[in-house]
Amino acid sequence: MPEIAPEARFMGTVTALTMHEMQNILAIIRESAGLMGDILKVNARVEFKHRPNMERTLEHIATHVDRGKGLLEATSRLAHSPDDDLLDGCDLAVYARTVAQLSERLVRLRGAAVDFTPASSALPVAVGALRILMAGYRAVQWAVGAGVKEGVVRMSVEAGQEYHALSLLPPQGAQQDREGLTVLASLLEEGRVEWDGARLRLFFPVRKQE
Amino acid sequence: MDQTHILLIDDEEAFVTTLQERLEMRGFSPRVALNGEAGLEMIAQDPPDVVVLDLRMPGMSGIEVLRRIRKGWPGLPVIMLSGHGSDQDFESCVNLGAALYHKKPLDIDVLLESIRTVTQSSLPHR
Repeated sequence: MPEIAPEARFMGTVTALTMHEMQNILAIIRESAGLMGDILKVNARVEFKHRPNMERTLEHIATHVDRGKGLLEATSRLAHSPDDDLLDGCDLAVYARTVAQLSERLVRLRGAAVDFTPASSALPVAVGALRILMAGYRAVQWAVGAGVKEGVVRMSVEAGQEYHALSLLPPQGAQQDREGLTVLASLLEEGRVEWDGARLRLFFPVRKQE
Repeated sequence: MDQTHILLIDDEEAFVTTLQERLEMRGFSPRVALNGEAGLEMIAQDPPDVVVLDLRMPGMSGIEVLRRIRKGWPGLPVIMLSGHGSDQDFESCVNLGAALYHKKPLDIDVLLESIRTVTQSSLPHR
């Protein structure tokens, strides 16, 4: 089993607990806004000046609670990634999606967006969750490289016999450095990285059934 | 008035009482317990048709409450609610026979659909 620094475990434990609390806070906000919406609906015939503003505000709350829920889900997965049961292997389909969720902000700061195509089934790999998140996030950083002002990072997963892959298509105009590939390769350990000039693929060995 | 008897067990009072109020506006009369021990007592006194149970609570955990429900009231469907627990939490709930597992925050229409689904397919236990 790979060694995990106690600092990483500590951060994971505290973050996971805090994320759980944040979920409760979001749930309270959603239910409270939902109750206000219910009250407006049962009083639909009662007109008052600010009804449209209130309805719009409740829609905003619902939208952003959902947005927060996605971010918390991803952060919670990051926090749990040093857990013992996720050190030797995990489902690439799940953690590729988590990489996409966690890197949205990073990509948006470059004026671009993430477009993730989810897998249709589980893709078990013999690589720990934390390792996939580190390598995947670093791959996104590399993919948006220099020179990007807009565009889309397209992410998907590819199933294989010996390796499953996380695939990234950088936005047009992005300039990637070769050194970054070496860093990425060092993060992959048993896996490998391939760059064909247009598409980056991170390969992770398939976890065989015992 | 919907006759389905719902028991909500959750330590987040602001969440669970607001959810109770929203269910009441939809014709239900849900009961609320703010911890696992109180929830089990309410089940013993008057078993509901469905339990909506938080996974993480101070004192007796949702997993332990679920285990005791399975032992004492095997046919009683339990819908688990959780902030994002680990995959182990999810597996534990499934292995212990939770009817459904949802993550918070949850759309009330999804919860209502879940309640309808599990109560229609559950064994009589009242």
